Amino acid sequence: MLKNSISRNLVTHKLMSKKFAFTLITTSIVSLGLTACLPNVQQDAKVVINKNPYPSTYQVLPAQSTLLTNATILTGTGERLNDADILLVNGKVMQVGNDLSTEQATVIDMKGKWITPGIIDVHSHLGVYPSPGVESHSDGNEMTSPNTSEVWAEHSVWPQDPGFQMARAGGVTSLQILPGSANLFGGRGVTLRNVPSISMQGMKFADAPYGLKMACGENPKRVYGSRKVLPSTRMGNVAGYRSAWLAATEYKRAWDKYDSDYSAGKNPEVPKRDLELDTLMGVLDGEILIHNHCYKAEEMAVMIDLGNEFNYHSGTFHHAIESYKIADLLAANGNCAAMWPDWWGFKMEAFDMVEENVAIVNAVKNSCAVVHSDSAITIQRLNQEAAKVMYRANENGFALKEENAIQWITANAAKSLGIDDKVGSLEVGKNADVVVWNMNPFSVYAQAEQVFIDGAKVYDRFDDKYQAKSDFLLGQQLNSHVNKVTDKSVVNPVNQPATKLVTKE
Amino acid sequence: MKNTQLLTSLRYALFGALAMTTSQVNAKSIVITNATVYTVAKQGILSQATVMVDDGIITAVYSKDEIPASLIADTIIDAKGRILTPGFIASGNLLGLVEVGAVSATRDSSDKKADLTFDASLAFNPKSTLIAYARKGGITSSLVTPYGGEKVFTGQSFVVNLSGDFDSVIVPNNAVMVSLGSSSKGSRATKLQTLSNNLEDAQKALAKVNKAKVSNKKGKDEQEVKTPSRSEQVMNAILSGDKPLIAYADRATDILFLLKLKQKFNLNLILAGASDAVLVSDEIAKANVVVMMSAIDNLPSSFDSLHNSLINVAKLTKAGVKVIISNSGESYNINQLRFDVGVAIANGLEKTSALAAVTANIADSFNLNSGRIAVGKNADLVLWSSDPFEISTQVDAMWINGQAMSLKSRQDALRERYTKETNMPRAYTK
Repeated sequence: MLKNSISRNLVTHKLMSKKFAFTLITTSIVSLGLTACLPNVQQDAKVVINKNPYPSTYQVLPAQSTLLTNATILTGTGERLNDADILLVNGKVMQVGNDLSTEQATVIDMKGKWITPGIIDVHSHLGVYPSPGVESHSDGNEMTSPNTSEVWAEHSVWPQDPGFQMARAGGVTSLQILPGSANLFGGRGVTLRNVPSISMQGMKFADAPYGLKMACGENPKRVYGSRKVLPSTRMGNVAGYRSAWLAATEYKRAWDKYDSDYSAGKNPEVPKRDLELDTLMGVLDGEILIHNHCYKAEEMAVMIDLGNEFNYHSGTFHHAIESYKIADLLAANGNCAAMWPDWWGFKMEAFDMVEENVAIVNAVKNSCAVVHSDSAITIQRLNQEAAKVMYRANENGFALKEENAIQWITANAAKSLGIDDKVGSLEVGKNADVVVWNMNPFSVYAQAEQVFIDGAKVYDRFDDKYQAKSDFLLGQQLNSHVNKVTDKSVVNPVNQPATKLVTKE
Repeated sequence: MKNTQLLTSLRYALFGALAMTTSQVNAKSIVITNATVYTVAKQGILSQATVMVDDGIITAVYSKDEIPASLIADTIIDAKGRILTPGFIASGNLLGLVEVGAVSATRDSSDKKADLTFDASLAFNPKSTLIAYARKGGITSSLVTPYGGEKVFTGQSFVVNLSGDFDSVIVPNNAVMVSLGSSSKGSRATKLQTLSNNLEDAQKALAKVNKAKVSNKKGKDEQEVKTPSRSEQVMNAILSGDKPLIAYADRATDILFLLKLKQKFNLNLILAGASDAVLVSDEIAKANVVVMMSAIDNLPSSFDSLHNSLINVAKLTKAGVKVIISNSGESYNINQLRFDVGVAIANGLEKTSALAAVTANIADSFNLNSGRIAVGKNADLVLWSSDPFEISTQVDAMWINGQAMSLKSRQDALRERYTKETNMPRAYTK
């Protein structure tokens, strides 16, 4: 009960649990006290907005303490440890270093292997635009109004999307599922643990802040302009954002006033709830992080000012193809930029790609360069996406190393999602999200061999026991001939079990 | 920001040599010495080998024991042991037909009216910014496959080189494309029937014409022999096997039907897409049909492609099927073909077969005089800093028809503008 009714007077998600408890207690004491002083005012029960009505039910998979030894470890903090060990106990990183020993853990020799933090994708549509890409499953974009802040991507997630398993095989342990980019405000994104689950809640990353998807540029103006609805221009886009933030500011003022009046012992009228404005108010309160589809330098510069105008942080720019033109501005304002290494050209706003974009952003002090996928295919090889940036940049004067490049798909991604206190690096006390690679992960030939989430093995390239399979793929095109054993290697490329014959009793 | 623009001395020296070649328009002969040559031909892999080029054609490939005492050429390149391969041949893209996907005025790849005579090579733009970028991935030519119209026959493909010259189109209208399989409207059966019926009708019409010709020769029953229409000419070329038929199909049933049509009409059939081809790999191998497919599309993206997998290229190759690896998706990143091949190798494809999948296999399928380093072939060559498929490797030098090519693209110009020190607006940095 308490867990589900978090106070909204919070500045950052990190303080959420502590400050929540404090506020609730304070509220009840203060209101009791004031009621005692002002006996004439009869207060109704205080209305508190439930911030977490669809809470995580994620459970760590069966795990044991594990000591991985003799590997090359990229910690995600910018360090590389050679011939090093890592100890995973109770779902956490307990120790990282050389010559570790323990009697309580299973020891696995990882000589020749590379170990990195679990890969994090800040931009995915798995589950909301799943495979197969049929109309019935096309649930990623509520393209019915330029502002749909009221929709939550988590309510569209189909956990059986086979793409989750493919991404897991690529080392992806956490990912943000975002709504599409047709709207100025596309709705809330949700951060998931990449574990197989029947429900979205079973994947939900507990205590990760929500994201709010916003979109700049061509998409909103094209979609709504063609319907003769604002926006049909970029200035229409910005007018749309500003109107929405004005309304959100009023909404927040109303709720703040309700809270303070109630605390003062009055019995104020409860403001009318509005799902759209709830989300925007969450941003103004610093609880929900902005994830802004925004390719172009001049538009990002406007979005930064927009955030300052309405007193919220403009968050992470996604698909930020022109970040390299404003790398200093992004760093100065504390924005993350989530980028592809080289996708480009498909529209005007994607025309000015440079392969060193990520490296140029990364070179500025206090920057936050992230490599993202936005693709069910490339999410499987984010290590190679980062590799492309590293090598192309190094051909042109940079001196990036593996221990730097890994941060774009681990620590910096975690920072963008507001989960860097829990995941994204292999520091003592962090969640034991670990990928074991068969070689340097920045090689085209690299494969994730084992993947751990919270210390539990969720994928093993060589052990079928740890290769999950979607309900959708199970039992497709089974062998129809009960007595004929078909060549498995041809018929079962995805390791489908042959039909079992059981005599009825 | 630290961003020196220094190239390695090795690379710098090489470019010095290349620049000279380019400036001397009439420089015709090149000798590349001390190369590890992946011939994709009978000679296999040669170390410390020498390749000679004259007037755009490969004139000699010497293993280290065969190199003559003296070699004379306009340009001599010391490969210093690096790998020389045939230029890669991309396929299944819209290169030169679309500049910016979302800008309809820059799209020339399709037309409602397009039918099997649709000749998109007329629209090819050798100055497209996509071409210079593609060269950075070692791609020297491409089979361009426009979407065409809405009919079963979507038009004809063509082959270009990536020289950026106005005469880049090597072969226009080199194959006819059909699009089969599932769609949100109507039944797949109609498409298969249409294809089958069209082939049958064309065959009958052709028989009739031939009969009339024979009669005319014999001087009996003078019959008028009609000149075939443009469509009929194309159909006849398909039936004679002169024009390959590129059939896009994923589901195994569609593929099997196509194999039947191949047998019945003696088609020069090439399967494209072919996600579920692994289910009928033996049949495809037996029919000697080439498959053009992506190496990285591994999602069950439709009910026609439930068996998509990263291991499919390796599996088909093992079953004896000749595979061409195509890029998936747009034309903007066809320079990444080499990484797709790398992924196929990581998933079981043997390296020699992998190289053939983007060189010799496609050249053989479409009768191109490239794709191998052998005497008489076009000098479309790439010198790599290391393993061509590895991400850390770059293209050090490229020749198309013996002409050294620039490896700079618009992307380099943008990077340089935004990484140089200046106290003026960037617009002044050119």
